[in-house]
Amino acid sequence: MRPDLPPIHEIWVYLAGSPLFALVLTLAAYSFGLSLYERTGKHPLANPVLIALILIAGTLTVGEIPYQKYFEGAQFVHFLLGTATVSLAIPIYKGLSSLQERMGILLMAMTAGGLTSIAVAVGVLHLMGSDDSLMQGMVAKSVTAPIAMGIAERIQASPTLTAVFAVTTGVLGAVLGRFVLNAAGVTAWWQRGFALGVAAHGIGTSRALSVHPVAGTYASLGMGMHGVVSAIVLPLIFRVML
Amino acid sequence: MINGFLQLLIFQAIGELMSKFLIPLIPGPVAGLVLLVMFLKWRGAVPQKIDLVGGAILQHLGLLFIPASVGVVMFLPLLQEHLMAVSMALILSVVATIWVTAIVLKFFDANRQGDEHAS
Repeated sequence: MRPDLPPIHEIWVYLAGSPLFALVLTLAAYSFGLSLYERTGKHPLANPVLIALILIAGTLTVGEIPYQKYFEGAQFVHFLLGTATVSLAIPIYKGLSSLQERMGILLMAMTAGGLTSIAVAVGVLHLMGSDDSLMQGMVAKSVTAPIAMGIAERIQASPTLTAVFAVTTGVLGAVLGRFVLNAAGVTAWWQRGFALGVAAHGIGTSRALSVHPVAGTYASLGMGMHGVVSAIVLPLIFRVML
Repeated sequence: MINGFLQLLIFQAIGELMSKFLIPLIPGPVAGLVLLVMFLKWRGAVPQKIDLVGGAILQHLGLLFIPASVGVVMFLPLLQEHLMAVSMALILSVVATIWVTAIVLKFFDANRQGDEHAS
C-alpha cells in the first residue's frame, strides 16, 4: 500500500458523502430490478421498483448510511417526479380524445372505487387499532405515486409512507387483479383495464397494457382521472374535516 | 429532446406558480398536468417533442419514486409493529377497489357489440 493514499475507509466516507454514490446505487438497483423483471417474463411480483427498494434499503442498513445522506444524492432523481406528473397529461389526453362518450360512467366508477380504497384501508387499520400516521398514509395510496406524494404533503400524511403503500398497492393489484375480475364476472377488456388503473395506478396500468391494448388505454385513463380528481378533492375534504 | 424537456419544465413551473399564488390546495405538478391537458386539447394533438420526452420519462416512472420510497427504512419499527394490520388493509383495500370499480362499470354500461372480452 502506498503511504500517500488515504486508508480505504476514508475513501468510502468520501464516496458515500457525494451525490454520486446515491445516484449510482439507485440506478444500479433499478436496472438490476428491470433485468430481473424481464427475465421472469414480466411477472408482476418481480416488480423492479420493489426489488430496487429492498436492495437499497438493505445497502443503507448494512452500510449504516443514514437515509438523509442517501437522499442528498438521490434527490436529483426525485426532482424529476414533478416533470413526470406533468407528463401524465399525455396518456390522459390520448385516452380522453378516444373515449369521451363513456365519461359519465367512468367518472362514477372511479369515484366509487376511490372511496372504497380509502374506506377499506383506513377502516381495517382502525378496526385493528393501528397507528394514526399509518392511516393517513393509506389515504392517497391508490393514486399514482408522484401525485399521491403531493396529496400526502397537503393532508399532513407522510409522503414516504404514502409512496411505499402506493408501490405495494400497485404490485398487489397487478398480481391479484385477474382473480378478482374473474370472480366478479367482469369480462369486457375496457372494464377490466379501467378497474386496474383506478385501483393499482401505474403498476396496474403497465400490467393491463401487457395483457390487452384496450385494457391498457382504459387503465391509463383510470389512473389519470383518479390522480387528478384526488389531487383536487382530497385536500379539500381534509380541510373541511379539520 | 432538450426542447421537449424545456416545454414540460415550463408547464411544471407555471403549475408551481399557480399552486403557490392561486390555488395552494392543488400540488404544482398536478396544476401543470391539467394545464398541459388543456394545451393539448387546444392543439388537437401531442407535439412530437413533448411526446418523445414525456414518453421516455413515463416509461421509467418507477425509478423516480425510489428515492422517496427508500425512506421506508425510517418507518420499519412502526411497520413491523403493525405488520398484520397494514398487510390486511393493503390487500383488502385493493381487492375491494378493483371489485367495486369493475362492478359499477358492468352494472351501468350495457355491453356494446364492438367490445372485446376476455375469454
